[in-house]
Amino acid sequence: MSTILKLFAFPASLIIMCYGILTILGGHITPGGGFQGGAIIAGALIFCFIVYGLKKMPFHISHDFLAGLESVGALGFVFLGLAGLFASGFFMYNLGVDLYHIVPIDIRNLFDYPDPLHAGIIPYLNFVVGLKVLVGLSAVVYAFLEFKEYNGDEEVEEDKAEEED
Amino acid sequence: MVYAGPIILGFLLGFILGSRIRDNPESEMNFTTSVYIVFIIVAIVVAYFFGPFPWYTDSPFANGLISAAVGIIFGKLILGRKSIPIETEEE
Repeated sequence: MSTILKLFAFPASLIIMCYGILTILGGHITPGGGFQGGAIIAGALIFCFIVYGLKKMPFHISHDFLAGLESVGALGFVFLGLAGLFASGFFMYNLGVDLYHIVPIDIRNLFDYPDPLHAGIIPYLNFVVGLKVLVGLSAVVYAFLEFKEYNGDEEVEEDKAEEED
Repeated sequence: MVYAGPIILGFLLGFILGSRIRDNPESEMNFTTSVYIVFIIVAIVVAYFFGPFPWYTDSPFANGLISAAVGIIFGKLILGRKSIPIETEEE
């Protein structure tokens, strides 16, 4: 890739990430949400992957990091669903809004999202879905690039072996 | 009144992403402090033109975008100061 693109890609990806985060945060009242925001953030990471390549990437994306982030996303989603089940009897009940007035006020306050709409657990669900999607989409490209690198090394070794013969 | 929800969640997500930024010794590109200063200025301008997205009326800026940018900078400063270790043949 050209030097101009390498100079531009990293700061631009940071701005794109911020935009993705903003999309996640507005998911409960605007078009967009966890999936779309996560996809935008993954797009920023993929932009860097393509421009810099796996070895020269300014983001250190390891397998452990991806696995940890995805686990936090999945467990957070399950936890929010089970919290509704245990507190109200309904799986994924919106404890922060409490439409049926069946949970104690303390629990309602605990899961309340502090914004003008008081959307309850919906923004938190968007947050964890965003984490899962960002990992899922960027992990695909990461795996492809690693496979390509691994395959490339093998091809180089085969070429060397042929040359020696 | 400033709403804490988008500020906290935006900061958290930004911090997670910012903590993965590392100086890569294998790369010929060297991103110095000036890159992050330009980034925060551009983020403020973008947030100003977004307005109080998504429909919060507490400030003229998009709070979530500003807090995400601050989170990225903090994540970089606190957890992202190390360099990526160079992989050797022995490893």
